[in-house]
Amino acid sequence: MQQQALIQRGTDWFKQQGWTPFPFQMEAWQAHLDGYHGLVNAPTGSGKTYSLGMPILLEFLRDHADDPGRADNGLRAIWITPIRALTREIQGALQRAADDMGLNWRVAIRSGDTSSSERQKLKRKPPEVLITTPESLHLLLASKQYEKYFKDLSTIVIDEWHELIGSKRGVQIELALSRLKGFLPKLKVWGISATIGNIEEAISVLMGNAGQPDQYKVIRANIDKRIELETILPDTIETFPWAGHLGITLIEKIVPIIKAGQSTLIFTNTRAQCEIWYQKLLDVAPDLAGIIAMHHGSIDRKLRDWVENALHEGTLKAVVCTSSLDLGVDFRPVENIIQIGSPKGVARFIQRAGRSGHQPGATSQIFFVPTHSLELLEGAALRQAIEEKALESRMPYIRSFDVLIQYLITLAVSDGFFPGQIYEEVVGTYAYRSVTPEEWKWTLHFITTGGESLYAYDEYRKVEIEEDGRYKVNSRRVAMRHRLQIGTIVGDADMQVKYVKGSRLGSIEEWFVGQLKPGDTFWFAGRSLEMVRIKDMTVQVKRSKKKKGKIPSYQGGRMPLSSQLSAFLLTKMDQIRAGQLNDIELQTLQPLLDVQTERSHIPDRSEFLIEYFTSREGHHLVFYPFDGRNVHEGMGSLLAYRLSRIQPISFSIAMNDYGFELLSDIPIPIDEGLANELFSTRNLGQDIMDSINSAELAKRTFRRIASIAGLIFMGYPGKQKKDRHVQASSQLFFDVFRDYEPHNLLYRQAYDEVMTFQLEEARMRQALERINQQKIILSKPIKATPFAFPIMVDRLRGRLTSERLEDRVQRMKLQLVKD
Amino acid sequence: MRLTTQHLHLAGADLELHPYRAIYWQQEEALLLADLHLGKVQHFRREGFPLPQDVTNTNWDKLIALLLDYRPERVYFLGDLFHSDWNAEWEEFCDLMDRFPRVTFSLVLGNHDRLSDKAYSRSRMDILEEPHRVGDFLLSHHPQEEHDAAYNLAGHIHPAVRLSGGGRQRLKLPCFYFGGKTGILPAFGVFTGSKVLTPTADDQIFVITDSSVIRAT
Repeated sequence: MQQQALIQRGTDWFKQQGWTPFPFQMEAWQAHLDGYHGLVNAPTGSGKTYSLGMPILLEFLRDHADDPGRADNGLRAIWITPIRALTREIQGALQRAADDMGLNWRVAIRSGDTSSSERQKLKRKPPEVLITTPESLHLLLASKQYEKYFKDLSTIVIDEWHELIGSKRGVQIELALSRLKGFLPKLKVWGISATIGNIEEAISVLMGNAGQPDQYKVIRANIDKRIELETILPDTIETFPWAGHLGITLIEKIVPIIKAGQSTLIFTNTRAQCEIWYQKLLDVAPDLAGIIAMHHGSIDRKLRDWVENALHEGTLKAVVCTSSLDLGVDFRPVENIIQIGSPKGVARFIQRAGRSGHQPGATSQIFFVPTHSLELLEGAALRQAIEEKALESRMPYIRSFDVLIQYLITLAVSDGFFPGQIYEEVVGTYAYRSVTPEEWKWTLHFITTGGESLYAYDEYRKVEIEEDGRYKVNSRRVAMRHRLQIGTIVGDADMQVKYVKGSRLGSIEEWFVGQLKPGDTFWFAGRSLEMVRIKDMTVQVKRSKKKKGKIPSYQGGRMPLSSQLSAFLLTKMDQIRAGQLNDIELQTLQPLLDVQTERSHIPDRSEFLIEYFTSREGHHLVFYPFDGRNVHEGMGSLLAYRLSRIQPISFSIAMNDYGFELLSDIPIPIDEGLANELFSTRNLGQDIMDSINSAELAKRTFRRIASIAGLIFMGYPGKQKKDRHVQASSQLFFDVFRDYEPHNLLYRQAYDEVMTFQLEEARMRQALERINQQKIILSKPIKATPFAFPIMVDRLRGRLTSERLEDRVQRMKLQLVKD
Repeated sequence: MRLTTQHLHLAGADLELHPYRAIYWQQEEALLLADLHLGKVQHFRREGFPLPQDVTNTNWDKLIALLLDYRPERVYFLGDLFHSDWNAEWEEFCDLMDRFPRVTFSLVLGNHDRLSDKAYSRSRMDILEEPHRVGDFLLSHHPQEEHDAAYNLAGHIHPAVRLSGGGRQRLKLPCFYFGGKTGILPAFGVFTGSKVLTPTADDQIFVITDSSVIRAT
């Protein structure tokens, strides 16, 4: 069949649906049918699924014109999506088109929710299209004779690539692609991505060593959604809290918006906040009972599915949610979007604004609810950032040895691998292109001998080298454990929450469970629950009538402000100083800003503000770079470290997106510090390294690395006891690597990740250079200022000391049982 | 590194608390140690978890240093001496015992001690039933709820406490924990975790740093 006629068939099918294909869709069909790799740059809700789903079908029609209706055609296409919630939509869309076009195809889903009998069926008889997640794809690579399973594969689509690229699941994708391309030279690799700041880089990462410009096409949808932002303003700024992150004070103003609209999505930043807002909404508007719901990542899939369906059908008035509803198909009935607290990034805010079901080209409205006074600034900053389309970049992970180790064991668990061949594939990826032969050797050594020093009696057993040079896992136990481990890139150590009778509610983090005793009440999934017992990694609960209860907090909740947004914050500060109060938010803030000016100072662009004051807690030194909490965490540790070299001193460090505080029980030598180039970029790398060590930042990051690389094993339901003898915390591993094996690449990776992702070293260096150009204003207010207050009250703190442990202990008190 | 110990007079006995997480009982010339978890490194490695082998050496180094410094008559291990079924680390430990022929080594069995009787009987280790009485003291692995001895010394818990100070300073440190009728030793072994306990005002707590034992108040 001619290309033109083929594309006509696609267009005809669109016409039968009453649609007309967008130009970008037809462009994608053409490019795919011509055999290119590529990337479709289109937002959600723009018809992106058919931009690549259609040519996959058309290609088959072309290649099997004689008998297009035949069955059992092998696995033709894989569609990867980061979240399971999206799989059914895609399945429906593709199956319908395939059926209508006379193909006898099966479009199937394989995810963590797929039952094992269903998986077996998919295994024996592959569907033509398989929709799956990065982890599930790796699980397929961990099964015997996977090459045979994939032999008919013609296309792999990576959906929502902008989501995956900034995570280690993105690295998993890169590795899986490198393997597939290794034995399927004609495989076409396609991505679908929303616009991000570094879209060009996103393409290079996806393409790896196939990234020659003549091998791929980039197709842009150029669909614009206009966004209007309205900040919900407190009636009087004087009574609005200076600190906090819940935003409950403005809840009365939200209720009318919910009641007026057909359906409203309320985005919160953390799961705990989500639970609280849901409860409080019912408290202030009891008539909403039964027509509002909540949705977050720890709630059981079945409950979430129910909520999503209800949203589609328009039977819910409002859903309180987290980023769990950031992605996916639009909910047509949703009219209003409300964002509680800072969204931290421009792209996320735009994405959320776009979740309402308006037609392309129409204006989306989004309400912003500040949670404390200064956050009003962010409303103004966001508006300008949206106007200027200042979208964030998503930095790809590179050199993730934890993911590499996991991948190599995956291959060793299935058919085994030959290092020479796999090395070529691995260094062909973007993530591992800088891996040296020595580092590769170390990695192989690590999975076969568990480290370098070998003793005669060593019994280390994981990957074994066979006589023909094949690397293979032979122990069934190791293989079993590894398959269970593959999913851990996503989840932390979570425990299931179930009713005693058995039905599942969702999962909560293990450390929260650690604080509960049987009989304690806690709120979860909008219900008051009493903890009954813990059994085999499951928290058994029953309904409680108590109103008061703890609310699980989740450690992943704190996102940093993006550099895009913080740049606009600085702009807004400048406007305040210049008296240009054009934004309604700035006008509302005026009385608070007056207090700040009266007690201390408001810096303009040429100044850098430091406040030093004393309270009952000790001596507070507060800095205001407005660079986001990540940079502040790093800069806080760095400055604490430099000050601690002047004299023995201990600090606790707190930060928010606007600044950070160093708190000490003794006076802080700030004048000596400033006289000795406190902000210098000289010797920066080494000083950061030392401060990371002193503040034990890397330990936290190492936890993830250790679990991905399979060093720690969480156990699994029902089998926990048997494996208790091999459970150890990542902290213990970290300590022994530090003390006994400091050149271990996983240990070093923890530092790299802290530098790059947590402290954002590059951004911190820029910030320091900027500060060096600014005039330092050291203000000594008599008491805490509006700027300082929200930072001071934060209890989540880092610590750094240059005192001897013995000296510190002398000045400290035992924490005793409270009477 | 200079090491600082602490002296504690308890139920008529003079105890020296050592930062290597051991107690020297002067009257009995006995060294008390709990929760060594020897063999853990080998056990992990056999299961495919890549612990560095050298971790074990730190256990040996500390143990040898204590034996040379105090030259005790007896060593009591309060359970969880060996974290595995038989592996080569046990033989290394037997060698070590052989190098101190004048010392009597005794073990109160703990929940992790699952070597065969044969392994013990081929070694110089005395196996004691839990709890084991020595003078006014009752030695056990698990803390004993009710007993008629003057004082019970036990392990098992791996105790630690939290300290707090001005400027929102906080610390968690392993400790010797002496309650009314039961005292709990810190875990001796490297690569063992700890559990935070919240003491009452009547308990005596001694926290442990790398080089010192310090009475916490």
